[in-house]
Amino acid sequence: MEEELLRVEGITKRFGGVTALDDVSFSINKGESLTLVGQNGSGKSTMIKIISGVYTPDEGDIYIDGKHYGKMSPLQSIQAGIQVIYQDFSLFPNLTVAENIALNDLIISGAKTVNWNEVKDFAREGLRKINVDIPLAALVQDLSTADRQLIAISKAILADAKLIIMDEPTTALTQNEVKALFKVIHDLNQQGIATIFVSHKLTEVREIGERTIILRNGQKILDQDATELDIKTIEYQMTGRHIDRSSIQYSEPKEDEVIFEVKDFNLSHGFFDVSFKLYKNEVLGITGLLGSGRTELALSLFGQKPADSGTIILEGKEIKINSIFDATSNGIGFVPEDRLKEGLFLPQTINNNIAAKIIDSLKNKLGFLDQKKKMDLAGEWIERLDVKTPHGELPASSLSGGNQQRLVLAKWLAFNPKVLILNGPTVGVDVGSKAAIHDLIRNLAKEGMGIILMSDDIPELMHTCNRILLMHRGRIVEEFDRESTNEDDLNTKLIADDRDENQKRQVE
Amino acid sequence: MKKLLKTNEFLVLLIIAALSLVVGLINPNFFTVASLFDLVRSSNVYIILAFALLPVVILGGVDISFIAIAAVASYSTHMFLIARGYEGGLFVYFVMGCTIGALAGLLNGLIITTFKLKVFDVSLATQTMWYGFTLFFIGATSNFDMPEGVVGYYSSFIATVTDEVTGVTGLHVSTIYVVVIGVFLWWFLKYTMIGRGIYAIGGNPEVAERTGFNIKKITLIVFVMMGLLSGFAGIVQSGLSRNFNPTLFIGQNLSVLASVIIGGAAIKGGRGTVIGTVLGVVLTQIIRRALVLTEIPAEWQNFVIGLILIIFTAIPAIREKRLEKVGRTTDLIEATVEE
Repeated sequence: MEEELLRVEGITKRFGGVTALDDVSFSINKGESLTLVGQNGSGKSTMIKIISGVYTPDEGDIYIDGKHYGKMSPLQSIQAGIQVIYQDFSLFPNLTVAENIALNDLIISGAKTVNWNEVKDFAREGLRKINVDIPLAALVQDLSTADRQLIAISKAILADAKLIIMDEPTTALTQNEVKALFKVIHDLNQQGIATIFVSHKLTEVREIGERTIILRNGQKILDQDATELDIKTIEYQMTGRHIDRSSIQYSEPKEDEVIFEVKDFNLSHGFFDVSFKLYKNEVLGITGLLGSGRTELALSLFGQKPADSGTIILEGKEIKINSIFDATSNGIGFVPEDRLKEGLFLPQTINNNIAAKIIDSLKNKLGFLDQKKKMDLAGEWIERLDVKTPHGELPASSLSGGNQQRLVLAKWLAFNPKVLILNGPTVGVDVGSKAAIHDLIRNLAKEGMGIILMSDDIPELMHTCNRILLMHRGRIVEEFDRESTNEDDLNTKLIADDRDENQKRQVE
Repeated sequence: MKKLLKTNEFLVLLIIAALSLVVGLINPNFFTVASLFDLVRSSNVYIILAFALLPVVILGGVDISFIAIAAVASYSTHMFLIARGYEGGLFVYFVMGCTIGALAGLLNGLIITTFKLKVFDVSLATQTMWYGFTLFFIGATSNFDMPEGVVGYYSSFIATVTDEVTGVTGLHVSTIYVVVIGVFLWWFLKYTMIGRGIYAIGGNPEVAERTGFNIKKITLIVFVMMGLLSGFAGIVQSGLSRNFNPTLFIGQNLSVLASVIIGGAAIKGGRGTVIGTVLGVVLTQIIRRALVLTEIPAEWQNFVIGLILIIFTAIPAIREKRLEKVGRTTDLIEATVEE
């Protein structure tokens, strides 16, 4: 009875000398839910781009509904009923919500002209289908990330898709929104719409997928029923090695030595009365859902959005942070959430990126940049952080996501900050790199660097932090000690706050 | 209503009104119908040029070659027809000039789409090339021989007024072109899928391609339109000034660009309107006129236009900063949209 929707056979794609996909074949039935898993650089993104017609495979065939496509354009892919929700949501920032939702349909229907009343009705209907209310006339550039995602989803649902591919759709969603999304996906499957769900979050893989495909180094490693899989197997198949969590060595904080303290910190529309202490050798976690003020707090501590009031004490001395310059000159480092936009100079070499923060200390007697000194230093960090690259003189853009994240870390570690603030340091990073970054974070704390880790990834916090602060609506509402709490507990607390808020909203 | 008041167009209109008032108080001649007709007449050609440039800017490119296309199209058309003893009206000029312009625009478009080059880089090359081509192969001096049917063009008016000081002036026939082209362009940008594609590509070219817009086709259409309208503007201008000039419009590309930007188009693409563009040109023309009427030295013209340009490029940045500060929440957006 199961009817095949899409089949790819022997897909191979090379970029220069690199083989991104090597003879990959798989199929998906109507209404099936498939999860596609793999580390960064395993070929997942390339596969999505081939199915959606953005890339043309060097070898192999694509069949949709039994029809053979040798070379497929993006438009053909859309017309065949394939919809991709990319991580950037594929929205036009300069156009209105209504137009963003309706454009796909206009293109598929081959319309030559636009009827704006129909566009508005269509968009209103689309938002109603996923039960959200966003002003139709607003420009997408003015919306929050969560709203943009909702628009992307309603857009795909409206496109009468037979197959919806979602590339890490939960990254920017709160727990409740993730649940809502899963419900939507199940509904779609019931209606006969197939879904391919790409994720790094292994728990989600088991929750959402009927079948799981794992890619490693461009090859298909595993293709089986999700219910038969456990997380350990997925991890092993993704990375090719076992990751042991039982032997984590936490650093022991010295509670008599405070290296960093924040008192009565305030930012309007951001956070209120935030106070905390960071002890020596400690990793302090700060968590909270989207909109809890977590990101604003990070930006204020780094001077990007200076706080309105409050006191910051670093190693016993009060300091003022009104700009990024103030923060760095006091020895505060910051690893941003969006490494591509804020963390790296992508076209520049890996070596230059590492040296960027400390360029002044690499001068020779004449005041010129000492190239040898730079190379040596960069080489040291490439080795220490295990950045996988054939050469430090290659551009940073040549690295895969996980390695780029290590490079951002290398840049800040070379600067040797007294306090390092990490905001979502492993967002979009695969399991193997993640464990390595966690090891590194704990080691840095042990060596005496003060670490503040902001994240909504509960296992990540549990694997690295000594204490975890929970933020809600701009305030620190609770403090957890790693030893007296567990993942489930923390998860419940995080969601509980969200639920309270939803109820409140409904009442209002 | 409040939404309308916040638009860029309204701000330009406000500045135009304030400026007119000041100039009119200093020199009452500014408020005469004759003066208005004259302002319209001098603005028309630049509005057509700005119309040529607007879709390119929305697409996300900065072209500086459209003036050279105007020159090669109008001058070579004229020299060709004069050599053949043509004595008719401008219609044949328009057909031939627009064709040459469209082909030159197509060349820009083809180079850009084939080699995936930046619009600015290509136009820098083609601008130099077309002026050089015209001067070397067609002629190096202005030509004042006018066919019988073209001689009177500069004074073909839709309506005339008699002014005590300046004599008879009128609303030039080129005003009709501006209205027709303007309405068409407005409709094209707002109501056709190709028009929406231009905005989409300007907003995010990668997403536009993924969504299924044919980027190459749209780019080529935009550049053919640019060439066509530039050739048209070149002939109107030459007809008005009663001479055909191989270096027509030279050096004026950036002031046309400035008008388009003042009119609300974003230099990084994705934003711009027809009505804003018209207002942008009118404002720059009034500034030039105002400084003459109030006897302020000509050197100040560019300074003042530059100053206004700074204000208008700063507005989106200020708005963005405000959003950053207050945070992007749906509530806030709702407040600004629904008002």
